[in-house]
Amino acid sequence: MTSYSNGGFFNPAYHDNETLEIDKRYPRKNNHTNPYAREAPSWQGSGAETHNGSVGRTTGGDDSLARMPWGGWEEESQRGRESIPMGLISTRHHDRNHSAFQINPDSQYDRSRIGQLPSSISANMTMRWRGMTMRSMSMFPDADPARLAFTEDAIRNEMENEEQNQVKELVALSTRDRIHAIRSLPTSFAEKKHIRSQVLKSAKKSRKNAHLADFSENVSLFFRRCGYSVRSARQTLQLWHGIMKEIGGKFGTSVLSYFVFLKWLLMFNIFSFLVNFGFITIPLLVYDPTPNIPPNVSFRGLELLTGAGYFRYTVMYYGGYSNKILVGLVDYNMQLAYFFTITLYMVLCGVALLYSMASSFQTNYVLAAPASSGAWQLLCSWDFSVTNERAVRQRKNNLRVQLQESLSEKAQRERLTLSVKLKQFGVYLGSWLLSTGLAVGCGASIFYLCQYEEQRTTDAPSWTLLQEAETLLLPFVVSLMNLVIPLFYSLFNKFELYSSQRKQVYALVVRNVLLRGSILGVLCYYWMNVVPEKFSCWESVVGQSLYRLVIFDFLFLMLGSFFGEFLSKVLGTTLLPRLGVPEFDIARNVLELIYAQTLAWIGIYFSPLLPAIQILKFFILFYLKKVSLTHNCQPPRRTGRAAQMQTTFIALLFFPFFVGAVSMVAFTAWRLTPSKHCGPFRGLSNTFIVVEVWIAELAAKPGSVWVVWIYQHVIESELFYFMLVLIVLVVIYMFWQVIQGRKQLIVLLKQQIVNEGKDKAFLLEKLQNLQKSRPNKILKQKTPKKHTKQRSGNVSAGGQSTSNAMLQALFARQQLEDEEGRRGNGGVPVPSDISTSSALVQAMMARQRAEDQEEDTHMSDTDFSSPSAFTQASQARQRAEVEAWDEHNGAADYHENAANTSSAVMLVMQARQRAEDEDRTQWVPAHPQNPVPAGSSALIQAMLARQQAQNEFDDGY
Amino acid sequence: MSSSAHLKLTSNSYHSNSCFFSLQELTFLTKQEILLAHKRFTELLSKEEKDLPNTRVSMERILSLPELKSNPFRERICHVFSTSAHQDGSLTFEDFLDLLSAFSDSATLEIKSHYAFRIFDFDDDGTLDCGDLEKLVNCLTGETDDTRLGPEEMRQLINNILEESDIDKDGTVNLSEFQHVISRSPDFVSSFKIVL
Repeated sequence: MTSYSNGGFFNPAYHDNETLEIDKRYPRKNNHTNPYAREAPSWQGSGAETHNGSVGRTTGGDDSLARMPWGGWEEESQRGRESIPMGLISTRHHDRNHSAFQINPDSQYDRSRIGQLPSSISANMTMRWRGMTMRSMSMFPDADPARLAFTEDAIRNEMENEEQNQVKELVALSTRDRIHAIRSLPTSFAEKKHIRSQVLKSAKKSRKNAHLADFSENVSLFFRRCGYSVRSARQTLQLWHGIMKEIGGKFGTSVLSYFVFLKWLLMFNIFSFLVNFGFITIPLLVYDPTPNIPPNVSFRGLELLTGAGYFRYTVMYYGGYSNKILVGLVDYNMQLAYFFTITLYMVLCGVALLYSMASSFQTNYVLAAPASSGAWQLLCSWDFSVTNERAVRQRKNNLRVQLQESLSEKAQRERLTLSVKLKQFGVYLGSWLLSTGLAVGCGASIFYLCQYEEQRTTDAPSWTLLQEAETLLLPFVVSLMNLVIPLFYSLFNKFELYSSQRKQVYALVVRNVLLRGSILGVLCYYWMNVVPEKFSCWESVVGQSLYRLVIFDFLFLMLGSFFGEFLSKVLGTTLLPRLGVPEFDIARNVLELIYAQTLAWIGIYFSPLLPAIQILKFFILFYLKKVSLTHNCQPPRRTGRAAQMQTTFIALLFFPFFVGAVSMVAFTAWRLTPSKHCGPFRGLSNTFIVVEVWIAELAAKPGSVWVVWIYQHVIESELFYFMLVLIVLVVIYMFWQVIQGRKQLIVLLKQQIVNEGKDKAFLLEKLQNLQKSRPNKILKQKTPKKHTKQRSGNVSAGGQSTSNAMLQALFARQQLEDEEGRRGNGGVPVPSDISTSSALVQAMMARQRAEDQEEDTHMSDTDFSSPSAFTQASQARQRAEVEAWDEHNGAADYHENAANTSSAVMLVMQARQRAEDEDRTQWVPAHPQNPVPAGSSALIQAMLARQQAQNEFDDGY
Repeated sequence: MSSSAHLKLTSNSYHSNSCFFSLQELTFLTKQEILLAHKRFTELLSKEEKDLPNTRVSMERILSLPELKSNPFRERICHVFSTSAHQDGSLTFEDFLDLLSAFSDSATLEIKSHYAFRIFDFDDDGTLDCGDLEKLVNCLTGETDDTRLGPEEMRQLINNILEESDIDKDGTVNLSEFQHVISRSPDFVSSFKIVL
């Protein structure tokens, strides 16, 4: 009974299938645990009445006492049956009083809980318990009267069992999983606490070696506490908590994501600054604190903009570092330090980016629906963090507009004519050509500008002020292009009319990436090919140009938020009210950040302290953007898709930009000759030689043979990389195959869900049709009072069988839902799936037959056969129950049990087959007088099958 | 146990680690968040109430918090997280922590979608039927006549919603169907968030 799989266990959907009428009516005492408590007094009353009735019946007491409630029961169940399909189709039609057989167990249950359970805490139930009790509860209505007598106890036991089971399962988990599982229980705090204490208690009990267990428990407790303190310490360090909250409260999550990204980049730069400063600069400064500046160079102020002149000789750039081995407490090889620090930094950046990209891809793309323009997306995108009253109102308005748009879009989508499509295509083509042309043109003009600059500048140790100022031309033009051209691009968007906002944003992003990529590409080409040949200390020159670019980028970012946001706000509010207050353009702003970060990455080799500038820049930018946002912008009109946008941004940051920067740095290190007279690598033919020299030195020392071996056999050997690539390829291929398999599985499972849905719809329809054909007959039955009285003897049989059948149907339905829930959430195909729909069909058939049978009994008044049928049925049931209970008790031995179950299922199937054969033999020759035994036996078969299915269900999972 | 946790917090022995430990193990909150929650919660209490253990704060006073004040689902949130026997939406400190935990950054999708479902289930019957969906849409677009959708639009919208999410075609959205929908809209986790 306890062997549920964890996946199923912690998935509330699996235990919590709410469509079932019974489930909904199930009252709970604690409101928090259970959202569905609606205790109507009348309901309670009727439940109590039925309860009395059943007790009277079981004790075999006063006939009149017994008869009255059962009559009520019968009538109720008639009505109940009527109501069931209604309830199934639309649960809106609630009439809480109309089906007694549903209420009966509930009310008893309720009483027992109120009366007898020790504490309110244990009276609370988790979703799981509810699910389980539901399953057991559905046994009661079809239980014979004798069974009803011990329902109270049974239910209480059941509940306690459930709790114990849950505790047991929690104990079986590892500590970490257990904490997570308890934390994720969707119940109230007190309840979680109760479960936790129970789990801890029984976990302690179950340990054999107490001392060791205590010790390990304490250790894990210690580590957990450490973990919590680290978490809270990290939270204390969180920057700008209040500002972030304010922005989120006013502008929502999507705008907030820009600031989160900015903060993340800031942290990233702080980290890289610490690494570079700590491992490269500090050792040098300790060894030689004064920079060796030529006597004729002095600080003039313009250096802050150009980065040339005075700065050229400081530790800001590559040229300021020495190639010596610093002799102090320990020998510190500057060359190695420089090389390894930069390499390590790049690798760490790559890993961090890759990790965050992969994880956000996983959550935001793999799980997201392929084509979800749906209404749910809008409804679920309500931002609970928005707290500003005006923003909330605006958001509501926007949401309404969006909902209306989505409705009209859906209607319009099909109505695009060919000419409209062609026109649209033409516009797309034109704007793409134009934007690509613009990007290429920018690249070309930058190239000529570079050539011009090359001619103008000289390799003198110090420049005149004018010369220095001339260097500012290139970064100025580059930044101007980066500011103006994207504005053009967003102008195109006005004409293009993409069908979805996402496409529009992506088009904008791709164009901007092309632009910046082409500009940076040309610049890199210039730095790699032209600069090294002309300048003696070319790394520093490249570093300076990067410094200038970074500074100008910053200035233009400020200008951009002035023009982009402030001016358009002024325009929008005063001159052209048609334009309106601008929105914060997240895509453009994030791309600016990405570009800024790319500059820093490229510059890390040439100017190791560039991250310091970057930190300052981002810090100021944060406040600037915050002010600009709160004063100039309005909340975005369209919501949603923030998470996917963020993924795209990280992917963009990683893919073209980071990879480009890394390949450029790697090319520099492997291919280019470092300058002869400055920097840590002076005199070497390329940077990587440093490692070779170091290894040669190490080979002389006896203790480090293994390092040399590793170097020779791993780093230097082609075979190793060949093998590595081969292995990686094989692994990738395998994963690819697995993915293909999963995709197929997903398709199949989706189909299965659809099919199950169709099955259900079909059966419901049948039920409805039956129901429709019934009413006149039911009326007939109801009108003669005598009839009912006369039948009081077998009323229970008829009523019960009907309700049984109905419960079969309902139960089968519930099971189906369970299956569906599990499949939908866990994605694990379950072997017993096959039985579900068959069980459902069986149940439905049984129901139908039972109804026919009942009808026949009523119509022909052949009462004599009914009691026997009833006794037969109850006997069979008893047997089945005994069997079932045996199995329950024997659940300890799983294997035996499994064998049992399957054999039992076989038996049932055979019996069913027989019954059906019997059926056919009886029905085909048309013996309308005596169809009862066959019918009831079929019913029993179905019930048995159901029981088996349930047992299987309980035991197997 | 529950009252002792509260007592410990109220009697200013903020450094009782075991208390925080159990609070941290049972919620998704960090120590700072719990302390902040406690501070904000006690601000809602009157002077004599502060000395009592496990006081309930009425829904009106909870809704005076700026974080909840303009939320369209504020009353539903209180009702869902309240353990009050009178169903008046009043919260104890633990209920309040529960609320913050479900709305915190680190809460799982599963727990968030569970509570979202209960918040959206206006009539507490365990499924989102047409009535619930209508109320939900009205809550989101505004309740007044000029802001809400017209009856025809509403009908179409609800049809769309059901078409999209009602896998078993029973005319309602149940919890598993809802969670299925939610799992496919990645923005939900980041937007189902209330920070103190």
